[in-house]
Amino acid sequence: MSKKVLIVDDSIYMRSLIKSALEEAGLEVVGEAKDGETAIDLALDTQPDLITLDNILPDMMGFEILKVLRDQGLESKVIMISAVGQQTVVNKGKELGASEYIVKPFTSEALIEVVNRVM
Amino acid sequence: MLDKLNENELEVASKLVFDGMSMAKKSMEQILQSPIKMEKIDWSNEDVPLPKYQDSGDQSVHVIRTNLIGELKGTSHLIFSEDEVTKVLRACLPSSIVDSDTPESKMMKMGFLTEMDNMMAAAVITEFSNFLGLEIYGHVPSLEVVKASDLNTFIEKEVGALDAIVHFKALFHGQELDISPDFIWIFQEEFVDKIKDLV
Repeated sequence: MSKKVLIVDDSIYMRSLIKSALEEAGLEVVGEAKDGETAIDLALDTQPDLITLDNILPDMMGFEILKVLRDQGLESKVIMISAVGQQTVVNKGKELGASEYIVKPFTSEALIEVVNRVM
Repeated sequence: MLDKLNENELEVASKLVFDGMSMAKKSMEQILQSPIKMEKIDWSNEDVPLPKYQDSGDQSVHVIRTNLIGELKGTSHLIFSEDEVTKVLRACLPSSIVDSDTPESKMMKMGFLTEMDNMMAAAVITEFSNFLGLEIYGHVPSLEVVKASDLNTFIEKEVGALDAIVHFKALFHGQELDISPDFIWIFQEEFVDKIKDLV
């Protein structure tokens, strides 16, 4: 059975890019969210195996979403994908429970390599 | 305002801006998959931030703006002419999207441009954040299409709203794509204070 993924990013372009790479790699995209509130609802509803999580969203930061999801007991693997690349930020993401942190721009191949490592 | 910086501080500030803009250039190359040159970096507090647009008449320009959030206030603007937007989109998106006027295609085209700005602004912000030891991020970018002749007024309004007095701008050039976008940054005076604190 293919692994379920939720994509969280405010940019439709970026969601489309990630979705296409993940589906080509055989994963099932069960939802897309462009803001934090939708991301939390969809994550709790769909219980995905993996969440790709942008860090800057219109209503909240990815860190906050990650914290809420962990507090709710959600154990999905999380890969943060963000243009924000400061080492302190990357470290914070991992401390909060992200398995990996990808700094944009990235290639589809690099994304799949990280997904395979994490899953 | 930059006269508040001594020679040493100005050198540090210039290197920081150069390094930041170089990272933005690198991001742009990766996104566009095409070589980009940084033609020049210019510090200025001129009344007219981008003189080349003054006589451009009714031609549209796309202004993609990112506001800084965190310990330093500022804003960046990545500026493309209408013609350049078409070239960039043709180079990076499938023609089924570029040639389509459906709401979804329009959103995808806008999404590509704002995402490019997001990555370029973040590259600059990462350099500044690491160097100055500040927690700063770029917010979700926005796109506005304005008349070229109104561009300077548009930017000046933002300068006023921010009470900002530091500008720096880079002119990039992509020979293969034949584009020359401007990337202008505006900061509040605290940018200068942070440099002074550091040096």
